[in-house]
Amino acid sequence: MTLTQEKTLAAQVRPDFPILHQQVNGKPLVYLDNAATSQKPLVVLDALRDYYERDNANVHRGVHTLSSRATDAYEGARDKIAKFVNAASRQEIVFTRNASEAINLVAYAWGSTLKQGDEIILSVMEHHSNLIPWQMVAQRTGAVLKFVEPNANEEFNLEQYKALISNKTRLVSILHVSNTLGYINPVAEITAIAHHYGARVLVDACQSVPHMPVDVQAMDCDWLVASGHKMCGPTGVGFLYGKLDLLRSMPPFLGGGEMIADVFLDHATYADLPHKFEAGTPAIGEAIALGAAVDYLSSLGMDKIHAYEEQLTAYLFQQLQQIPELRIYGPRPTLEGKGRAALAAFTAGEVHPHDLSTILDEAGVAIRAGHHCTQPLHRYLKVQSTARASLYFYNTQAEIDVFIAALREAVDFFASIFG
Amino acid sequence: MSLDNLRNLYQQVILEHYKKPRNRGKTSPVHRHQRGHNPSCGDTIDLTLQLDEAGNHIQDVKFEGEGCAIAMSSADLMADAMRGKSVKEALEMIQRFQAMMKGEAEFPKELRKLNVMQGVAQFPVRIKCATLTWHTLKAALELAHSETPEYVSNES
Ligand SMILES: Cc1ncc(COP(=O)(O)O)c(C=O)c1O
Repeated sequence: MTLTQEKTLAAQVRPDFPILHQQVNGKPLVYLDNAATSQKPLVVLDALRDYYERDNANVHRGVHTLSSRATDAYEGARDKIAKFVNAASRQEIVFTRNASEAINLVAYAWGSTLKQGDEIILSVMEHHSNLIPWQMVAQRTGAVLKFVEPNANEEFNLEQYKALISNKTRLVSILHVSNTLGYINPVAEITAIAHHYGARVLVDACQSVPHMPVDVQAMDCDWLVASGHKMCGPTGVGFLYGKLDLLRSMPPFLGGGEMIADVFLDHATYADLPHKFEAGTPAIGEAIALGAAVDYLSSLGMDKIHAYEEQLTAYLFQQLQQIPELRIYGPRPTLEGKGRAALAAFTAGEVHPHDLSTILDEAGVAIRAGHHCTQPLHRYLKVQSTARASLYFYNTQAEIDVFIAALREAVDFFASIFG
Repeated sequence: MSLDNLRNLYQQVILEHYKKPRNRGKTSPVHRHQRGHNPSCGDTIDLTLQLDEAGNHIQDVKFEGEGCAIAMSSADLMADAMRGKSVKEALEMIQRFQAMMKGEAEFPKELRKLNVMQGVAQFPVRIKCATLTWHTLKAALELAHSETPEYVSNES
């Protein structure tokens, strides 16, 4: 296999990421924890700095020049995100703190319309962020949670989903790409089936929006959530996409400044979308910097990013499969690296994931060890924790080689002691 | 890879106790039972104690659970060291172990085997792994007369 694109994409972008050029424990850093959070390019750091150096003022609250600049930049970032996920209207994009807050917004504002016996379909593979808010809704309303399990391939079990869904189903809330199993859900198909039964669909796109083109209109989902920090943006900002009519029909989530039209002592009317859902001073600088991140990703091209990550996936799996002690979770990619995300959660024989992570860290390699906020999935897989390497477009084949060599050394180190 | 650092952490003794623990299981009878839990990684430990009739001395300590080499060997080494100790001595040892994790103390000659855990102090993120069993023992000893919580956590 040739990785000609690597010379173009990763080599092209690495100078944009100052953090990647450092030594950890005396070794060049190999950052493979991108599913937890991504690194930030200079243009994003500059956007944050420029905003605070030049434009900092509160938004929507002043007629002075700085306030107007800050407002334009903040609303400009909203336009960029709307375009990035192909929303029909900029009013359909609500800034939140992160994906978790976006899900909680829907769970609170829309979830309160649910009644005793209404059903919510989730999957066992959900991140805790897309589980706990619905547990809370179920406790409040008497709605019932139903769960799709992984199939034999360790992907979303579409057949089981079709058997679970019924006219009682009010909501299907599922992730687009699993942060643990790495499979890519057929969300358009899942949505079409849900809509046939009159159910709404929320897509947790935390692990897809940073890595591939995402088109909310093509998916036809009712809501979609993502976190800025996993897509080259800063922490503290994420977004909710929702269909306009649906967002209109939902009551506010949090109350305060910014989200009002007219306020009296005993009541108030609410601002139009999207401000109705943005109470209080938002993360202005962060939102603007997320806009810069979206510009950056778009300039590289999401198609190109995805295609390059497929090449990395193919190489990663080809290498991992040569270590017999590993149990890798989730579906295998094709030889071209298609069919799953550029991440791998695995266990390594006798070596506990924690010990593995410490040993790899000594080699400068950052991976995640633990349950990756998918404890029910780990319980289902009968494993307490796994190690996970997750890649992004700035990772290289050479970095995979460093990771694999360190992994093999770790496995051998433990094996030599155990004999 | 800087194996020197790692050899200091994963000393032979630690790996032997991980691989062939001597104190896995449940004491019989069980006078105290305490569950410990590390919420950030999911590691769990179930400690059981057998005490003398007066409840002043530890006769046996056993553990069950799942965790990394550091957590499991720490539990096994602790169980060995606790046999025959008075509750007061045990509480002092817990304090000393915690101080050792800050690089501020070590154990005297007769308990020197516990000093193999000193290397953990160089790996701050792993200290929680080593102390889980000690936190759990502390709860088992101190909460004896009050309501025992379902589990203790070493997140603080
Ligand atoms: C699939 C998935 N959903 C939700 C989240 C939660 O994201 P955040 O913590 O930024 O709200 C994550 C990130 O950890 C994730 O991977």
